[in-house]
Amino acid sequence: MEQIIQVTILGIGLGGVFALMGSGLSLVFGVMRIVNLAHPSLIIAGAFTAYWGFRLWGIDPLVMLPVATLLLAAIGVLLYKIFFERNAKSATYSEMTVLLTFAIAMIIEGALGAMFSNTQRVTSPSYATDAFFLGDIFIPKGQLYAGMVSMLIIGLLAAFLKYSRLGYAIRATTQNRDAAALLGVNVNMVGLMSFAIGIGLAGAAGALTSFVFSFFPAKHWEWIAVLMSLVVMGGMGSIVGTVVASFGLSIVAAFVGAYVGSTWSTMTFFLALFLVLLFRPQGLFGEKPELL
Amino acid sequence: MTEFLKVEGITAGYGDGPAILDGAHMTVQQGKVHCIIGPNGAGKSTLMKVIAGMLPVRKGEVIFKGENLKGLRPDQTLRRGIAFVPQERALFPKMTVRENLRMGGYILNNDRERDRRIDEIFDRFPILRERADQHAGTMSGGQQQTLAMARTLILRPEIVMFDEPSLGLAPMIVREMFAIVRMIAEQGVTVLLVEQNAVMGLKHADWGVVLDLGRTLFEGPAQEVLHDPRIQELYLGGRKVA
Ligand SMILES: Nc1ncnc2c1ncn2[C@@H]1O[C@H](COP(=O)(O)OP(=O)(O)OP(=O)(O)O)[C@@H](O)[C@H]1O
Ligand SMILES: [Mg+2]
Repeated sequence: MEQIIQVTILGIGLGGVFALMGSGLSLVFGVMRIVNLAHPSLIIAGAFTAYWGFRLWGIDPLVMLPVATLLLAAIGVLLYKIFFERNAKSATYSEMTVLLTFAIAMIIEGALGAMFSNTQRVTSPSYATDAFFLGDIFIPKGQLYAGMVSMLIIGLLAAFLKYSRLGYAIRATTQNRDAAALLGVNVNMVGLMSFAIGIGLAGAAGALTSFVFSFFPAKHWEWIAVLMSLVVMGGMGSIVGTVVASFGLSIVAAFVGAYVGSTWSTMTFFLALFLVLLFRPQGLFGEKPELL
Repeated sequence: MTEFLKVEGITAGYGDGPAILDGAHMTVQQGKVHCIIGPNGAGKSTLMKVIAGMLPVRKGEVIFKGENLKGLRPDQTLRRGIAFVPQERALFPKMTVRENLRMGGYILNNDRERDRRIDEIFDRFPILRERADQHAGTMSGGQQQTLAMARTLILRPEIVMFDEPSLGLAPMIVREMFAIVRMIAEQGVTVLLVEQNAVMGLKHADWGVVLDLGRTLFEGPAQEVLHDPRIQELYLGGRKVA
């Protein structure tokens, strides 16, 4: 029994971080129909931001988190202006963005590799290797903090989408772009802002990831499949769906890791992706997902 | 009398495609209901899109209260008081009725004023108040159309354009739709209507416009259009109208 609780807790810890990683991807797809294969590479860029803040100046990665968020959001604005804005009206936009973001991922990987080399890194504030104990059950502090901050950020994102004026505009544009434009929404500005927020979330996820997982520039290839499986399972463009899928799959993966073998743990995500695509390609939660 | 809205010699089309409108004209009088009829593909929807600023004008002009609307975007025509419900109704299906209405007041800067106007809308359309927290997409076709039309009123527009509001609705509901149209007109709002059921549309209108192949064949008092033998022959299915 204890082991089951223990494994569940570890799964939840991972789920929190994946949920944040996936929600930025979902937002960008939901609003812009951009399949952003560069998302995990931008997470790595966020992780490096937190890493160097800690290495050079001893700044806690949780304090670096807003810095990484803003830096990546700014990069998001640049990417959007350079690559995505002009093509937004093209009929093959989504297909085009797959190739485009693939190229961006490689460029970011190359740039990070050239600047920081391909060594494994992990940010190491004291809590990263510490844990709380409840009897025999241990809760790793790093994962706990990362998971809690993830949930906090996703909660803020949901409240922003639900209640703010820009949030209304983002949801409306996602559901019916032409109708939103007819009511006076500047849909291009909405696209830019959603993209910036989505990439900013990648930066935040990166800062949290930096003390939960070890990372290096090419690590994003591992994550892209994991994130894709979460987003597809959640219904492409649904943040709530992505969060639910993240926790569900992470817990299953933790059990697979504990009882089948740790090398099989990651396979859980790929297997889930295959099964969803085969039997429920619209995702677990229905035909037309909404952001919330 | 200075003209309220005047459409003159409009040529327009999609992208680099052929001219869909080819010299269409139309006169709009303040406070009246105008019905545009014509066969499928005549360019009725296209004409409304042009007036709303969704489609650029190639030739001709749209003059609203003395101002040329040429080159204005949809949000700019909206700010000048022209609201449009396209054929597809353009609701946000996964937003609640209230959220849809709030989107209708998106360009208002004052949230309290916006919510006050939504309350007025609820008084006029009690069914919407009943459904306020329900997703728009889960309502019946008639209720969705009511919401789409009501949503335009939040901005207190001078002109509302409804593209085939009766599309896909049961006959009884269609009658309700026309009652709403009349009610809107009685408040002094000018109405432009595209209607597939020409007889029904003209009977509820003051002014009729017959569009075919992108041109205006005829425009005049709705009663005249309704009783013109040539138009009966061509567009009213040869039916005699009593
Ligand atoms: N988005 C578009 N892109 C290209 N062509 C279009 C587009 N929308 C309409 N058309 C073409 O313009 C012509 C007129 O269309 P429009 O929708 O204005 O007709 P309509 O009179 O409203 O017809 P209906 O009664 O079927 O609604 C049609 O030939 C149609 O194929
Ligand atoms: Mg039409």
